Amino acid sequence: MGTTDKKSKNAAPKNGGHVIMDLPKNIYRSVIREKTTLRDQSESEPVSDNFFVHVLPVSPLEHPRFGYTLGLGVISMSLFLIVAATGMLMLFYYVPSTEQAYERIVDLNATVSFGRIVRNIHRWGAHGMVAAVFLHMCRVFFTGAYKPPREFSWVIGVFLFLVTLVFSYTGYLLTWDQLAYWGTTVGTSIAGYTPILGDTIQFLMLGGTTVGQETLLRFYVLHVFVLPLLMVTLLGLHFWRIRKDGGLAYQNGNERD
Amino acid sequence: MPNDVKTNGVEPRNESVMNLAGQLVRLMILVMVLLTALLVVSMLFDAPLGAKANPGHPINPAKAPWYFLGLQELVSYSAFIGGIVVPTLIVIVLLLIPYIDRKPVGIGVWFAKGRWIQNIFFGLCVLAMIVLIIIGMYFRGEYWNFILPWAN
Ligand code: HEM
Repeated sequence: MGTTDKKSKNAAPKNGGHVIMDLPKNIYRSVIREKTTLRDQSESEPVSDNFFVHVLPVSPLEHPRFGYTLGLGVISMSLFLIVAATGMLMLFYYVPSTEQAYERIVDLNATVSFGRIVRNIHRWGAHGMVAAVFLHMCRVFFTGAYKPPREFSWVIGVFLFLVTLVFSYTGYLLTWDQLAYWGTTVGTSIAGYTPILGDTIQFLMLGGTTVGQETLLRFYVLHVFVLPLLMVTLLGLHFWRIRKDGGLAYQNGNERD
Repeated sequence: MPNDVKTNGVEPRNESVMNLAGQLVRLMILVMVLLTALLVVSMLFDAPLGAKANPGHPINPAKAPWYFLGLQELVSYSAFIGGIVVPTLIVIVLLLIPYIDRKPVGIGVWFAKGRWIQNIFFGLCVLAMIVLIIIGMYFRGEYWNFILPWAN
């Protein structure tokens, strides 16, 4: 494609165009970053110019092979998005108080439109995510994909795995049912066995000496604010490093044997 | 064929194809299958919800969700070893793996022959965790006593 016809077809008119008539087109372009440059660039433009498909390699040395990744990274990511979306919906309803939390969930199940299915998706999606992330880690190990230059992708991955586990650990308490209460009681008591700092850590987790209102609030803040922030940051790093390290290992790693 | 991929000093095999649409479609299909499966599961099975928390009435046994049952099983032998030492060791070893095993052998290949020691080691660890989880799930009853799931 030559520079001239790009210019004629895609460059914004000198007067900025018609505000209303061009509105859909302008919104579309602002999101997609379509043809904002007049330079002639390689075919990589559709990827490098667009954040939303940036996870894909610019020019894959081969098609991504399903038999290599088993799609597990993508599955982990999709499940995270689904769980985040359903969690956001439940945020509108949930109250992190020992008086109300349980009743709110009973209500969500029984009377709120689509409440039950949203909660079910959140719960099963979270279980699925733990499994998918773990299997993804196994996949990466058995394909030797953590070796240089991808060491740090693996390290970020280990933290992603831990964040996933803490996510489900903190979420478990929020239903404030018997299982949640006693599961957390057992779980936090284990922290008390840490040498020297045991009691301090346990007290910090509980906000007291037993599971109670302070614990619920702490777990809630971790679950809906701190961990999402951490997760998104780590995911950004993870994907960026994968791209910077030259794509997936099988695409250029074999020759180093 | 233009080749602007950063290859870390490795001559890439020249099988480069630009097929963005194909990649996206495959991604979308995967995600849609996943969404459908999750939706079906969520229509068929309800997430558990017990009675309201009651600090005066412990439940017995208080089981963690399945992915923590391996650790809970270890904790039943020793809270310090199972709850602190083993998890800490697991995390440290996981973090060190790529700095210990650096030989450029079998990168990007499933079960490469040159890595059989590593693969067997990791495989055994995974297997041990799965066995512990299964024991915790099906073979533990009141007071974490051993039970047979079929003898009711
Ligand atoms: C929330 C959790 C995670 C998400 C969403 C995620 C996502 C992804 C995605 C989409 C890829 C591209 C290839 C693929 O689909 O397999 C990938 C690759 C990779 N991941 Fe993860 N990941 C996660 C956790 C982990 C963990 C726990 C580890 C290891 C401890 C890890 C290590 C790696 C490495 C080393 C690669 C490069 C693999 C290669 O070049 O073959 N990731 N990840």
